[in-house]
Amino acid sequence: MTARRDVRVTVNGRAYTRNVEPRMLLVDFLRHECGLTGTHVGCAHGVCGACTILLDDVSIRSCLAFAVQAEGKEITTVEGLADGESPNALQRAFHENHALQCGYCTPGFLMSLTEFLRETPDPNEAQIRERLSGNLCRCTGYANIVRAVRAAARRPRDEDCAP
Amino acid sequence: MSARGDDGGAGTWVGRPVPRKEDPRLLRGIGTYIDDVPEPRGTLHLAVLRSPYAHARIGAVDASEAEALEGVVAVVTGADIADLIPPFTADYERPGFKVSRRSVLATDKARFVGDGVALILAENAYVAEDALGLVLVDYEQLPAVSDIEDALKPDAPRVHEELADNVLVEGGHGTEGFNEVFEAADHVLRERFRVNRVAGVAMEPRGCLAVYEKSDDAVTLWTGTQVPHMLRVGIARCLGWPESRVRVVAPDVGGGFGPKMYLYPEELLAVAMAREYRCPVKWIEDRLEDFLTTLQARDHVYEVAVAFDGDGVVKAVSVDALVNSGAYSTYPMGVGLEPFQGPLNMPGPYRFRQFAFTCKGIATNTCSTGAYRGVSAPGVAMAMEGMMDRVARRLGLDRVEVRRRNLVGPDEFPYVNVVDQLYVTGSYVECMNRALEMVDYEGYLAARPPERLVDGKYRGIGVAVVTELGGQGAARYKARGLSDLPGFDTARVELGPDGRVLATTSFSSQGQGHETVFAQIVADELGVPVDDVTVRGGDTGASPFGTGTFASRGAVVGGGAVMRASGELREKVRRFAAHLLEASPDDIVLEGGHAHVRGVRQMRIGFRDVARAAHGLTESMQLPEGEEFGLEAAATYDPEASSVSNACHIACVGVDAATGLVEVERYIVVHDCGRVVNPLLVKGQIQGGVAQGLGQVLFEEILYDAEGQMLSGTLMDYMVPTALDVPTLEMEHVESPATDNIGGFKGAGEGGVIGALPAVACAVGDALAPLGANVNRLPLRPDTVLGLIEGVGA
Ligand code: FES
Ligand code: FES
Repeated sequence: MTARRDVRVTVNGRAYTRNVEPRMLLVDFLRHECGLTGTHVGCAHGVCGACTILLDDVSIRSCLAFAVQAEGKEITTVEGLADGESPNALQRAFHENHALQCGYCTPGFLMSLTEFLRETPDPNEAQIRERLSGNLCRCTGYANIVRAVRAAARRPRDEDCAP
Repeated sequence: MSARGDDGGAGTWVGRPVPRKEDPRLLRGIGTYIDDVPEPRGTLHLAVLRSPYAHARIGAVDASEAEALEGVVAVVTGADIADLIPPFTADYERPGFKVSRRSVLATDKARFVGDGVALILAENAYVAEDALGLVLVDYEQLPAVSDIEDALKPDAPRVHEELADNVLVEGGHGTEGFNEVFEAADHVLRERFRVNRVAGVAMEPRGCLAVYEKSDDAVTLWTGTQVPHMLRVGIARCLGWPESRVRVVAPDVGGGFGPKMYLYPEELLAVAMAREYRCPVKWIEDRLEDFLTTLQARDHVYEVAVAFDGDGVVKAVSVDALVNSGAYSTYPMGVGLEPFQGPLNMPGPYRFRQFAFTCKGIATNTCSTGAYRGVSAPGVAMAMEGMMDRVARRLGLDRVEVRRRNLVGPDEFPYVNVVDQLYVTGSYVECMNRALEMVDYEGYLAARPPERLVDGKYRGIGVAVVTELGGQGAARYKARGLSDLPGFDTARVELGPDGRVLATTSFSSQGQGHETVFAQIVADELGVPVDDVTVRGGDTGASPFGTGTFASRGAVVGGGAVMRASGELREKVRRFAAHLLEASPDDIVLEGGHAHVRGVRQMRIGFRDVARAAHGLTESMQLPEGEEFGLEAAATYDPEASSVSNACHIACVGVDAATGLVEVERYIVVHDCGRVVNPLLVKGQIQGGVAQGLGQVLFEEILYDAEGQMLSGTLMDYMVPTALDVPTLEMEHVESPATDNIGGFKGAGEGGVIGALPAVACAVGDALAPLGANVNRLPLRPDTVLGLIEGVGA
C-alpha cells in the first residue's frame, strides 16, 4: 500500500490536517476524517450530484476527487452555508417551498445552486432547470426546487446566498 | 423558520400548508442518515462477495489470500454460517404458494447475479473491498433464465430444484356468470401489455450498522428501513433470539418507496457478525450493489380482454397476469404481493360487474421483486385506461365519453366494486370534469390537425382516471394471507412536565414529513401550537409496536393512532384542568396551550401548570380523585377498510417525429385524498410520484440479458428523470373525506405514479393513433417510439 500522506485543507473556514492513504476519496475524507457528514454519497460514480461541494469556490463532485488533490485548498460544504443556527436565503427558500422530502440529495443541490446563483443571480426557468439537471432527486419531482431557486434569487441583496 | 400557517391564528392546524419541522436539520447537513451514525471505536466493515453468475453451483472457496491481507479480520462463507443464520422467508398462507427459502449467503448455488456467497470483515471499507477481489470461488455455471415467459417453459432451468417448476405462487378467481356475460357482449377487444422492470433508486443506498451491547448481550441495528418493528420480529425469529436482545433503529432515511420495507440478508449478517465478533459491524452498499440486490418491481405481462356493448359500456373484463418474482420470496410481504395486487387493482374507478383473473409469480435468476410505490396498480391502470381508449377508437366514440359511461358516478357511493372493494366516498367524475376544464380538452382537440403533426411533433393527450388503495389494516392483510404484517399502528402521546408534547409512533420516516403532519394532528386534538409538539419514531427501543410505513398508510393508520391517543390525553388534561380551575371537565376548553372554562376566558391555566400538577411538581398534592400521576395516553389504530383515493391525470405530449423523443408538455392532476392534513406535503407527494411514473414510462428499465447479467447497473444506464424531464404539474384538490376511518384521511403516497403511467402511455397512443401504432409496452424510449412511428414492432 502506498504511504499515507498529510492532507491540509480548510473546510468552512476551519483548518484540518489528516494523515490518509492517497487513494482516499475526498468525500470520504470530509465525511469520515473531518466528521462533516452533510455531504452525501448517492452513486460514487459522478452522476447523482449528492456529493457536490465547492473547492476554491468551484463546484465539484467530491466522489470523483481524491483527498490529496484538495491539499492546500479551501472547501465549502453544506455545513458552511448557514450562519450559525440561522439558514441562509437559499436554505430558507428550500424550507418555505418544500423543496426537499427525504433530504438526501439536498446538500448537493444547495452547493451546486450556491455557485449557480452567484454566477446567475437572476435566472430564468430554463436556466434553472438546466442547472438542476446535474443533480438527481428521487423524491420531489423538482418543481418545488425550481420554485425555491426563483424565490432565493428574488431575495434582497443583503440576504445573498453566497457563502 | 415560522411554522405558522396561512392566517397565523389559532385553531385548526390540519389542512394548513405548514412547512416541515424536519427541514432545518436536513438543510444544514446535520441530519443522521445511516452512514452518518457515529461509528463506535473498533467498528468492522462488512463487504459481501457476490456471485458474478446468475445461476451457478458453488464449489470450493479459497479465502487464504484475502485472510492474509492486512486489515482483514475474517472471511466467512455461506457454509460457515449456515447453522448460525438459518434460511428465511415470509409465511404466506395461501393455496398455490410454494416456499422458497433464502440463505443469507448462498450455500448450494447462487440464483442471481449479486447473490451473496461470502463476506469479509475488515478494519475499513477500502480494505474490505480489496479483499473481495482476493477470494477465489469455484463456480459451476448453470443455465439461467431471466425472462418470465421463458421461465414457464417445461424445459426451463429451475431456480429452486426442490420445486416442481418456477411458479412460486398462483391464483385466480372469476365472478359468477362471467363466461355468459363475456360471450354475450357485442364486442371484445384483447391486448397484451408489457410493463417494464424498474428499481426504486432511493438516493440513499441501503446500509446498516449493528452495534453489540456487551452488558445486555444484545445488538442494536441501525438501518435505513421503513419497518423497524417488522425487522426486529423477523431478525429475532430467524436468529432464534428473544426480541429483547434486538433493537432496530431507523435514523433519517434517504428515500424508501417500498424496497426498504424488506428484511435483507445484509441486516441479518451484520447482526449475527456483531454478536459473533463482539464488536460493531457496518455495511454500506454502493450503487451497483443497490441495482443488483435491492428489491425491484413490475416486470409484468398482462393479457387483457374487455367485452363491451355498442355504447361502449364495459360488461366484463379478464386479465391474466404474469409477474417476475426474481430468485426468492421475501420477508415480510411474501411473493404474492405483485401478482395479486395487479388484478385486484384492475377495476379501479369502473363499474363493470363481471371480472375474471389469473395470476402467477414466477421465479427467475434475477433479483427478487416486490413493493415499489403503487405496487402493481400503475401497470394495471395503464392496461385498463389503454383498453378504455381502444374501446373508444373501436366504436368511434370520444374516450372521455366512454369513461363517463363506465365510471362509478357521484350518486353511487358507497359503492362496492366487482372485487369487493368498498369505495365509501369518491369523486371520479368530478375530478375528471375539472381536469378536462383545466386542460381545455375540447379546445385541444379542435386546435389539432387530423394527422396530429405540429412543428415536427405528433401531439397527443391522455386522460387517466385512477384509484389508489391505501391505509390498510389487519382485516385486509389477513384476508390476503399476510401472516407477517400486523396491520395496526400505534402512537403514544405525552404532555411532559414542561407542558410540551411528545408523540412517539410506530413509524419511521423516509421523507414523508411525519414529524410535521402528526404534529398538526396532535396540535388540533390537544389545542397546542404545532411548535410545542415533537414527533419521534423509528426506534423499537423507544416507540410502540406497529406495522410501519408503506402503501400510503402513514396519514390514515399512523394519523389515526395519533388522533386516538391525543384524544384520550385531551380528556385527561381536561380533567386535571377542571380540578385545578374548580370547574367541570365538560366545561373545559383547550386552546393555544391553555385550558379555560367555556365562556370565561379569564378562568384559565397554562398547560405547563397543568402538567406540573399532573407530574407531582407542585407544593401540595393536586391530584384529582380517581386520577393517576402523569399525562400520557397510547392508542392503536386498525382501520377496517382500505382508504381509496382517486385522481384524474391528463398528460399532453409531443412526440418528435424524427427522433421518437417524447416530451411531456403539460401535466394536469386533480386529486382527491380525502381530508388533507398538509396541502404543501400532499402536492409534494403527487409531484414526486408523477416524476417517478414519468421515469418508468419514458426511460427507466432494469435490463437483464438472457444469461441473467444486468445491463443497467449504473445511473448512466438506468436513467431516472432529471429536472429537464419533469414538468411542474398543474394541480388541484377535491376533498371527499373518508367516512369510515377516524380522521377522514386517505393515502396520498402512490397516486402520482399510478396516474402517470396510463396518462402518458395513453397520450403517446393518442399522438400516434393516426399511424395505427399500438402502444402496449413500456418504457417509451426514443428507439421504441421510433419503431412505432415507422411501423416496426406494432
Ligand atoms: S455521489 Fe458523487 S455524483 Fe453521486
Ligand atoms: S429529497 Fe429525497 S432524493 Fe431529493
